Amino acid sequence: MIAEIGHFSLILAFVTSLVLSVVPLMGVARGNAAMMQLAVPATLVMAAGVLLAFAALVWAFITSDFSVALVASHSHSAKPIIYKISGTWGNHEGSLLLWIVILVGFAAILTQTARKMPIPLKTRTLAVQGIVSAAFLAFSLFTSNPFTRLSPAPLDGNGLNPVLQDPGLALHPPTLYVGYVGLSMAFSFAVAGLLEGRIDRAWAIYVRPWITAAWCALTIGIALGSWWAYYELGWGGWWFWDPVENASLMPWLAATALIHSVIAVAARGIFKSWTVLLAILAFSLSLVGTFIVRSGLLTSVHSFASDPARGVFILAILLLAIGIPLVLFAWRGPQLTNEGDFELISREFGLLVNNFLLTAATIVVLIGTFYPLCLEMVSGARITVGPPYFDATFNPIMGALVLAMAFGPVMAWRRGTLPALRLVANCTIIAALAALLVGLVLFTGISLAGLAGVGMTAWLGGGILADIFHRLKHVSKSEVGKRPVIQMSVWGMWCAHLGMVIFLLGALGNGLFASEVVVRAKPGDVINLAGNQITFVGVETRRGPNYVTSTAILDLRRGGQLLARLEPENRLYTAKMQATTEAAIRPGLRGDDYVVLGDGDTQMGYTLRLYHKPLVSWIWAGAGLMAVGGFLAAIGRALRPPPILEPDILT
Amino acid sequence: MTNESNKDARRTGPKLPFFLPMIGFLILASFAATALFATLSGNRNPEQLPSVLIGKPVPDTPIPLLDDGLATLTLTDFAGKPLLVNFFASWCAPCRAEAPALAQLAKNVTIIGIAYKDKPADTNDFLNQFGNPFSAIGVDRDGRLGFTWGVYGVPENYLIGSDGTVLLRHAGPIDRRVLNEVLIPAIEGTK
Repeated sequence: MIAEIGHFSLILAFVTSLVLSVVPLMGVARGNAAMMQLAVPATLVMAAGVLLAFAALVWAFITSDFSVALVASHSHSAKPIIYKISGTWGNHEGSLLLWIVILVGFAAILTQTARKMPIPLKTRTLAVQGIVSAAFLAFSLFTSNPFTRLSPAPLDGNGLNPVLQDPGLALHPPTLYVGYVGLSMAFSFAVAGLLEGRIDRAWAIYVRPWITAAWCALTIGIALGSWWAYYELGWGGWWFWDPVENASLMPWLAATALIHSVIAVAARGIFKSWTVLLAILAFSLSLVGTFIVRSGLLTSVHSFASDPARGVFILAILLLAIGIPLVLFAWRGPQLTNEGDFELISREFGLLVNNFLLTAATIVVLIGTFYPLCLEMVSGARITVGPPYFDATFNPIMGALVLAMAFGPVMAWRRGTLPALRLVANCTIIAALAALLVGLVLFTGISLAGLAGVGMTAWLGGGILADIFHRLKHVSKSEVGKRPVIQMSVWGMWCAHLGMVIFLLGALGNGLFASEVVVRAKPGDVINLAGNQITFVGVETRRGPNYVTSTAILDLRRGGQLLARLEPENRLYTAKMQATTEAAIRPGLRGDDYVVLGDGDTQMGYTLRLYHKPLVSWIWAGAGLMAVGGFLAAIGRALRPPPILEPDILT
Repeated sequence: MTNESNKDARRTGPKLPFFLPMIGFLILASFAATALFATLSGNRNPEQLPSVLIGKPVPDTPIPLLDDGLATLTLTDFAGKPLLVNFFASWCAPCRAEAPALAQLAKNVTIIGIAYKDKPADTNDFLNQFGNPFSAIGVDRDGRLGFTWGVYGVPENYLIGSDGTVLLRHAGPIDRRVLNEVLIPAIEGTK
């Protein structure tokens, strides 16, 4: 019964979304206020319907209602309750519904906020969001109905893929989806602006919180995914340039460009058509990111719910959702004229450099992801594009971005530089030279690329710290007592940029200095790694709630002192006899010790893979700091008095 | 913006650069569509790496032996029984992972190892550490042999039938699933 209620609410939401897609837009075109006013109630009804449907599906999972086909094939009665709930989105149908929940939820939030937003823009934005919702509700209802019943109902379920029974999975997809779908708001704003034929600074100020929020969620979502792959898959890596990872990185890069270009629209009324295009592309890349892996087009280690038959529907949605706005852009884009000009040495030019490099990086990842597919279609050859390609293309672009990043914030609007420039320039050069010297002296045999990375990271770190120091000093000298001059959004920017430095330190530390051994060890053997002595005590069998394990016990010592007991295990989930590897990790600020248990027995010995990964946790700490920076900037803007929206206020 | 400037803006004609995103998207979408319909019509399986060698006789290039750089082995000499050719290297982490699987397979089939772009000393260390499941080991120092076979990365395995034709290619390490569901049935099929 609950499942039928869910199914019915989903149909109701679909019908409402169709109304939302058509009537308010006609209202705006004809100047009919009643038709325009329909947008808000229609959005709320649609959101309520989807939310009810999702609640019904979660309920079916919690109560293990195996008469629902989805629950039967993806859940199991012997599963811990948290994984029953997270199992709701651990499959294609459920994750699609979660995706739609966030899509309509954001539209509902827009109806209740931004009360001073111009009504035609708000109406159009809601209507575009309604069109996107209608497309995905149709996809869910017609090809991926989560409420299909099974008769007769099986006694127990098939179980969730054990790799996915993990706290990381409970959090990673919802966060990532908030990021992907948050970009849908930027998209709807952009399409609404194109329909109106006008993008102004008000537009930029209303769209900004959505872009920032989406970017923060995307940053956290990608970091969680990378962290999950690091500790769950047992490969010891944190980024694999896998198509699914690239699919999440591309919208992030585009959103990072967008978050910067919209500053110029809000402050100066320039880069309008470019920002609109970026907003469309960022969400398009999100769509590609969410759905390309489900269409059976690209292969990936995350081969999660791929089905070519659904691919046709997905491709149709992508064609319409990306193609129509791009046609609209080709038609209306030239009308979006800039309100100001700027010179070569200016913040505008800095933002332009930022956008150019981030776009180049996005294109490089796009090519790396789709080139194998295109080549196969042209010549039939099957290839994979791996880390060497990305090291050679993506890393240099990011290097240039890092160099430029130190100077963007000390540029002045329109022309010239801020007073901090001189100090920043000195500090970048001194820090970079010092780091290069240290690198050359201390780390013999360091690669040229590694050395360059160390130098550039120091350059950026020195530049940001110099900027912070200069501005704090400047404030304390001249403007104390007047009002806090350093706005929260500036703190947010510093925080996010320092997050990049922390991230780079982690990536470099792990990339340049990680050590690894693979041994076949018998109980009692001692393995030396990175100055630690690791004693292999033995292997024992343990029982979990729905699995059995063989767990290796290793004692990690340094100079005779016991630092930690590491217990990597191989689990066998008994419901479907699936095996997973659980690495044992001793995380630390200075580095992680990471052990994976391989095959073996007591006579022959066990294969053990042991890693020491210096600074690896800084990678995720850096990403977290970037997200914190984003939140600070968003909060700062929310707290500030509403901006005055006359054009040319700054020129 | 006033009404007048709006009218000015409306008069702006189409500009080529504004069409570029759409054109780029259409090109990419047409590739995706072609691939999708190939997959749907069953002509394409994204999980399998086809090889031009499948169904053809095994290349009869003489391969230098690891133990003795002057002697060579020729794969056509092994005709009459199924053969597994394993391209591996000491520098390749997945090759370590598949060592137990190869040890198990060695009970069922003759395995020839080809040390791909590897120093003989390193290869020997690797074999001492992870075991030697091979009946013979050839050396491909510069990767030229791998090139003729179409090897794109190690480990890579080729199953050769009793009649000397290449039956199957598996790129990537042999895990339990590949071992039990692909290789063992295929070897049983040749007997």
